Amino acid sequence: MTRLWLRWLPAVVVPAVIAAGALAGSFQASAADNLPAKTPEQVLAMVGADTVRALSGTLEQTSELGLPQLPAGAPSSSADMASALDLLAAPHTARIYLDGPANARVQVMDQLAERDVIRHGNEVWTYSSKDNSVTHETLPAAGLKGKTAAATPQLQTPDQLAQRMLAALDASTTVTVGQDTSVAGRPAYALVLTPRSADTLVGSVSIAVDSQTGLPLSVAVQARGQEKPAFRLVFTDLVLQAPSADLFAFTPPPGAHITQRTRPQQADERPPGEPRAPGGNSGSATPAHTVSGQGWDTVIALPATAMPADLTASPLLGHAAQAVDGGRLISTSLVNVLLTNDGRIFAGSVPLARLQSAAAER
Amino acid sequence: MLPSDPSLPNDSNPPRDRPATAGWARAGWPLLASELQMLFGRRRTWAMLLVLAAVPVLIAVVVRLSSGPGTPGRGPAFLDRVTQNGLFVGVTGLVVSIPLFLPLTISVVAGDTIAGEGSLGTLRYLLVAPAGRVRLLLVKYAAALAFCIAATLAVAVPGAVVGVLLFPVGPVTLLSGDTIGVGASVLRLLLVAAYVMVSLVGLAAVGLFISTLTDVPVGAMAATIVLTVVSAVLDALPQVTWLHPWLFSHYWFDFADLLRQPVSWSSFGANAWLQAGYIAVFGALAYGRFASKDVLS
Repeated sequence: MTRLWLRWLPAVVVPAVIAAGALAGSFQASAADNLPAKTPEQVLAMVGADTVRALSGTLEQTSELGLPQLPAGAPSSSADMASALDLLAAPHTARIYLDGPANARVQVMDQLAERDVIRHGNEVWTYSSKDNSVTHETLPAAGLKGKTAAATPQLQTPDQLAQRMLAALDASTTVTVGQDTSVAGRPAYALVLTPRSADTLVGSVSIAVDSQTGLPLSVAVQARGQEKPAFRLVFTDLVLQAPSADLFAFTPPPGAHITQRTRPQQADERPPGEPRAPGGNSGSATPAHTVSGQGWDTVIALPATAMPADLTASPLLGHAAQAVDGGRLISTSLVNVLLTNDGRIFAGSVPLARLQSAAAER
Repeated sequence: MLPSDPSLPNDSNPPRDRPATAGWARAGWPLLASELQMLFGRRRTWAMLLVLAAVPVLIAVVVRLSSGPGTPGRGPAFLDRVTQNGLFVGVTGLVVSIPLFLPLTISVVAGDTIAGEGSLGTLRYLLVAPAGRVRLLLVKYAAALAFCIAATLAVAVPGAVVGVLLFPVGPVTLLSGDTIGVGASVLRLLLVAAYVMVSLVGLAAVGLFISTLTDVPVGAMAATIVLTVVSAVLDALPQVTWLHPWLFSHYWFDFADLLRQPVSWSSFGANAWLQAGYIAVFGALAYGRFASKDVLS
């Protein structure tokens, strides 16, 4: 009898070994390194002095915004809304190659497809493998500034995101240095930004800063009352070497549909502070919005004409919004959007009550 | 001393006067040869391989007969690439076959391994021979692996051949928008075929284990294919994201990473580790079940 029992032993041992290995792997990934202690000011100075000009790496973006999740590949009533939702809610993996201010390439890796943005000098190409389409744009010559090229507004590097957040630092935020971490195999300092205001949905923002170069390696936004980060952008793989030059030389493939684009003459800088404005309403046709409050509990108000009628009537919106006192609310863990009954929009990283009081002010 | 002598000891301590061929025999090679002969001597096996080969051929013929190149963005992935380079018919064939056709045929073969012998009543005789249960299990699994290779090639090779016959062979556009030459595209096709073969070995191990549970081969086949479908469904549900990296079908479509520029090897590695894990776990389970089983049939 004992021998029969012995024969089942591998069936018990093998899964146990695999489980132990998986656990050990996840512990190792978050293991703290013994870095020399630094003050928040010193770490901030490191970020400011970061000298990385060229890199190739893999980025992972995940979010837990509490938006309704659809099964992958499910048909959707509104393609545009669904793709906007997808960009916000679904996880993404992208490879990024940077070489100086003039060369950048971002490859968003979808299943069986890829979206590319290639910047080579003043030329910006985008390529989508799904419909084999290419867009081409020539930037004005003055666009060549900054240490590395900003490739695409949708997917930024942790560096670009962190720089924007740190640029907006003011007295409303406490800066501390958390426990040392390890990102993409590199020991890093954790810079933690905590809002002083109690009236915001943002719990804290942590930025992992590479201990050698000062390059921000990950940005994670923690929402109040939620254990998982509401938004996380992290390098899973990073090589600080200039990528091969032919990666940036893009020739449109034969048979591709090419669109020439011209950029509207408008300042491309959005007001920093809120890293991801919901809905992407920063287009040229947006009427003047008003901003009340400052720092973390800013509320942005849009007048009634701002919202296109077809968006209000969209079934997806009806599905996502819930009726509240004074209008409808789209609630995510980081941002609340209140659509009042008279068509105005109030948005901010604040609880619903503050949006309602802002709506009642006028 | 004949290899079939029942008095032959089962452990590794061979008598010194054994002929040189006996070592070859002890390693189970004759058993594997006869197993492969039986597998590929079956009409069922050839019918499945023919159906698999028909998939890319059908795609190629339909695309050739329809007017003009396919509209990009519609139909299976890479369909519009086919008209640029006929070799991509093989890739399109693999895209179409990997969710169902390939797992179905693997399930049939893997589910039949032990249960088939059990239902025919031949399992007893196989075990009377000094094969040993472990060796029989290994030989059965090796044969299932051989079928994984054959099934993948049955899609890729006829696809490439038909594509070359019906379409021009020229530079081809990768997912990243870069264009590569013919030689490089042959290499990519072979890499994709290798990836798909690796993707299927975990399923074969699951099938082998299920096959040891029963004497009804159809039941084992059905259970294996049901598991494939369950795995695919779970993989599409965002609510169980934590489970996704552990599903054997999770990386099946990531062979597209080999068609990027530069090649992204991370999914190849992750897939290989995952499949190796499935072989280890379900191999151990199959051993536990088969070694402690009362073979009566």
